[in-house]
Amino acid sequence: MVIPWIGFPLAGVIKRAQPQGNAKFVAFETLKRPSQMPGQRGLFQPLDWPYVEGLRLDEAVHPLTILAVGLYDQDLPNQNGAPLRLVVPWKYGFKGIKSIVRISLVAEMPPTSWNKQNPNEYGFYSNVNPEVDHPRWSQKTERKIGEGGLFAQRHPTLPFNGYADQVANLYAGMDLRKFF
Amino acid sequence: MSIQNTGTWVGVAPWRDLPQLPTIVVYLVGVVPAIWWFWLGAVDRLGADPMRELEHTLGLWALRFLIFTLAITPLRQLVGVNLLRYRRALGLSAFYYALMHLTTYLVLDQGLDFDAIGADILKRRYITIGMTCFIVLLPLAATSSNLAIRRLGGKAWQRLHRFVYLAAILAVLHFLMSVKSWPIEPITYALIVAILLGYRLARSLMRGQSQGKLKRMSLSDSR
Repeated sequence: MVIPWIGFPLAGVIKRAQPQGNAKFVAFETLKRPSQMPGQRGLFQPLDWPYVEGLRLDEAVHPLTILAVGLYDQDLPNQNGAPLRLVVPWKYGFKGIKSIVRISLVAEMPPTSWNKQNPNEYGFYSNVNPEVDHPRWSQKTERKIGEGGLFAQRHPTLPFNGYADQVANLYAGMDLRKFF
Repeated sequence: MSIQNTGTWVGVAPWRDLPQLPTIVVYLVGVVPAIWWFWLGAVDRLGADPMRELEHTLGLWALRFLIFTLAITPLRQLVGVNLLRYRRALGLSAFYYALMHLTTYLVLDQGLDFDAIGADILKRRYITIGMTCFIVLLPLAATSSNLAIRRLGGKAWQRLHRFVYLAAILAVLHFLMSVKSWPIEPITYALIVAILLGYRLARSLMRGQSQGKLKRMSLSDSR
């Protein structure tokens, strides 16, 4: 499905922060508040909280990278990452960190939660790539949410989720199998 | 010389006097989740990814019925409740749910794209394991009838049907490997299966020990 986010380019925020010359990456951190978020409570946690994510600086200042404050003409609900969440449409959805509490400009590649949990299966870049499988399942085809219900057809996944024209140049010369 | 207790609990069990349900009831009750979930799918009440929900739930019920069949003997041995007459119905229900789970995968998930399915079975380890589990269940389902028991003979039939232990292990492995990170649900089912199988292992080891003792004692008596 195509989600009508309401937001503004992350590039504007970064420009205001006036990054220094050695800033190469942008690191994000989410809220950790077990008292309000039952999913963060208890003995067995699937991930190390707080959730963290990161982008390369050129990915972060790309016009397609936005900070969302709403969707469908409404304020962002809590489950969608209120009050501020990241939307990077050419990457897998878990890169869209929610409820951002801190944005840092850093020199080294920052840790990202799913890569910490399983570096074999989740990389830093996580660009949508039908050619590179997840170790346990294929990523060549997809079903679209809201289309066809139980009988939804599979479609071939598009490189960079269909944004190849806009973003492929960011990865020119990179081995996307190695830097997945 | 002391005689080892074989482990069955002999005593007055008030629940033994309850009227016994005909086995058809197990089949009828067993099919209710399937009807319910297919109906939810038909009226689009399965959320954003209905096919995945249905596929997951059918697989889960297959595993649950498998666990019910594995619980029959411990229940009889530990508590004296004998539900053996329902075990075939429970086992076949497990097989039917596994068949529905597989059919959902082949038809709804993969759209009968046999190239993709073949690649999945060979390359995706959790699908290899799932498919193997189903293949293990096939002969068990096929030989579930009284006729089959007579044809095979009780001993051979029993040995064949011990493969249900392998099916249970493969099923929980399939579940564990199909999820991201370590959610509690598949771990719980794995623990339940481990306990049910571990109980049998412990019992057979203990019986082996006590039989060994009896053998040694009787030998020394005869000398």
